[in-house]
Amino acid sequence: MSLFVRRQLPIAIVSITAILVMADYFFRIAATGPIVRDLQNWGIILSAFALGFGAVNLFIVHTRHISKQTSNQWPYSIWLLFMVALFAGVGVFIGPTSTQYMWIYNASYFALSATLYSSTGFYIASGCYRALRARNVQSVILLVVGGIALLRNAPMLAAGYPILIDIDGWVNSVPTTSAQRGIMIGAALGAIALGVRTMIGRETGFLGRRTEAER
Amino acid sequence: MSSLWKKLEDVPREVLYGLFLLAFIIPMLSPFGLPIPISADVRKWFATIDALPAGSTIMIDMGYSAGGEPELGPYAVAVTHHIFKKGKLKSIYMATSIDGVQLWETLMAEVKPEQYGAKYGTDYVHLGYMAGTETAMAKVGTGPMPSTDYKGNSIAQMPVMEGIKDATSFKLLICYTTGGDQSEGWVRQWVTPYKTPYLSCVLALMIPTMLPYYRAGQIVSLVSGATAGQYELLNKIPARGIKSADVISICHILIFAFVVLGNIAYYARKASEGSRKGG
Amino acid sequence: MREKLQRGRGKEVEEMAVDLASVIQIWLAALFTIWAYSFAFRDNAFFKFAEHTFVGAAAGHNIVYAVDNVRRYGWDPLSKGATLYAVIFLLGLVLYTRYHKKYFWLSRFPLAIMVGIGVGLSLRAIVTAEFIAQIQSTAGMKVVGVDSFTAFNNLLFIVIVLAVVYYFVFTFPVLHGGSRGAISTFARWAMMAAFGYSFANALLSRITMIFGRLDYVMNTWLPLPGAILALPLALILLIYSMIPAKKRPWPK
Repeated sequence: MSLFVRRQLPIAIVSITAILVMADYFFRIAATGPIVRDLQNWGIILSAFALGFGAVNLFIVHTRHISKQTSNQWPYSIWLLFMVALFAGVGVFIGPTSTQYMWIYNASYFALSATLYSSTGFYIASGCYRALRARNVQSVILLVVGGIALLRNAPMLAAGYPILIDIDGWVNSVPTTSAQRGIMIGAALGAIALGVRTMIGRETGFLGRRTEAER
Repeated sequence: MSSLWKKLEDVPREVLYGLFLLAFIIPMLSPFGLPIPISADVRKWFATIDALPAGSTIMIDMGYSAGGEPELGPYAVAVTHHIFKKGKLKSIYMATSIDGVQLWETLMAEVKPEQYGAKYGTDYVHLGYMAGTETAMAKVGTGPMPSTDYKGNSIAQMPVMEGIKDATSFKLLICYTTGGDQSEGWVRQWVTPYKTPYLSCVLALMIPTMLPYYRAGQIVSLVSGATAGQYELLNKIPARGIKSADVISICHILIFAFVVLGNIAYYARKASEGSRKGG
Repeated sequence: MREKLQRGRGKEVEEMAVDLASVIQIWLAALFTIWAYSFAFRDNAFFKFAEHTFVGAAAGHNIVYAVDNVRRYGWDPLSKGATLYAVIFLLGLVLYTRYHKKYFWLSRFPLAIMVGIGVGLSLRAIVTAEFIAQIQSTAGMKVVGVDSFTAFNNLLFIVIVLAVVYYFVFTFPVLHGGSRGAISTFARWAMMAAFGYSFANALLSRITMIFGRLDYVMNTWLPLPGAILALPLALILLIYSMIPAKKRPWPK
């Protein structure tokens, strides 16, 4: 009974929910429509609850650093938790589009997010010089195609040498699209297999760690 | 000689970063006014919006994160100018990205829709951020629409929401996104069941993964945010996009030179080491 | 078709009502930008500060929209009489039992609903969007009745799609052995071409993003009073903080 409730029942819920959602789409059964619309609402609510996991994990990790006074870390942990509280407090109690929230958002989060996202450009630039080597057929193909695309992406060169646009157009529409399509079909097959395995209980990663009885 | 090639091969990364930074700063301090060709995809995007009949409603997903704003923001600004300038179109915004509402506020502050006579609630509305990505897309597709806007105000009486019940109420879907979940999710949840025409603006690095959908006719036009300058030219409203064109040109030429030089140094060193051992 | 737009040199002159709050905001955003980029050179205390600021802000931002969505899509219907939503509220809270040593298995129930919805939504559309539509599009490519260049391109396209799909069939290892390995090799070459194209596009993305930030620093921050003096000072402090603690006089 215990194993049924803790393991089989969640798997059954996955299967029933998935079948309902698919049945509504493929068979347009009148009875399933309102149920699936409610399910979609519930999915949004549960996803919203799940957004808090990041903050909880950070809280656990960084309070540990603070209590242990981890050297060279604990002052940053205090600052981090302060920022969590500041954003959460201003956003929840004053409003996420209030002047105050937009101020702290633009002063810190937006600038840092944009900067950190773009900083890998430096590593790519360095890697292009130090690591990209034409050592074998595959790397030669990568470099040749990449080089053509690089030159085409420079607007000045594309305007001055229109042949680059034509060559890049061919690379774009033949080898790139076809290879990506092959990858997509393979990935779709894998996703279908994974979905079916999840529904029949063969894929149980989402159950998390096992209970004593399951071990 | 091989030590010279070795030194050239092992140029410190700080030097490379410095050269890379210079490639940005020099054209920014002294713009060259280099030409920009307009691609067929950007023209198609522009023509699709231009061809919309008066009274059409567009669903626009602010699906990009703050990290992608420098690339996608200028394109979104240019398109928003176009939509409001054309007039008589209704825009319903939503956000599948958690930054979508704040970025929309920034977008509207830059576009200033009131200069085109556009009014919130009459010509455009923002439904807010909806968690769950594809679940949110499916919910909005099947209807009913959320009952409040991003500030929690009821949208039931807003003229812009008149007649809007599900995906079939929209003539066009636009998505600006930094995530494959969003760009591909819309194909699965709106294009496949409802055949909604879909314009997708993604990061340049996502273009290859989206190409199969584009070539299969599931996306009307697929562009990257880096083509914002081209859209601004079509719109005749120069802004951030055009400013980046010179920098993009110079940086790409520099990176190409890096690749060539790095390989020359590598092979020259190997050749001189080989001849030293043989000789 | 190509069009050319001549742009004059120099900065745009923009009338801006610059109040103190905006000035401080711009200063903070610019300093955070410089500190965040400094990691490319060396790890340092300013970068760590910026990094922790970002992580905390992101987590806080997530909480804000978690509360917003729960209120708009959960609490509002519940307060209007949809009592079943009370169950979903409870399930949402039960998600956090994941952290409990003994009762973590309770979190499997709300997770099962989320996984079930996700599986159902993606399975129902993947078959059509990423399988049938792609195969139809490939099968519809003409190799006869068109000019030879188009025919060659289409044939090459079809061959590459088939080869790449073949490459990813790992269930039967015999498919990749012997002379059949040539198909896998050809598929790898095609994928390398795709990855080369992706690499160039990734670079374009990053360059555009870096430009956006540098444009902000140079054209929004530097014109502010004092910024042009603060920039070299900030850079000196950054370089100093990059010196290993043992080698610098203070702080250790």
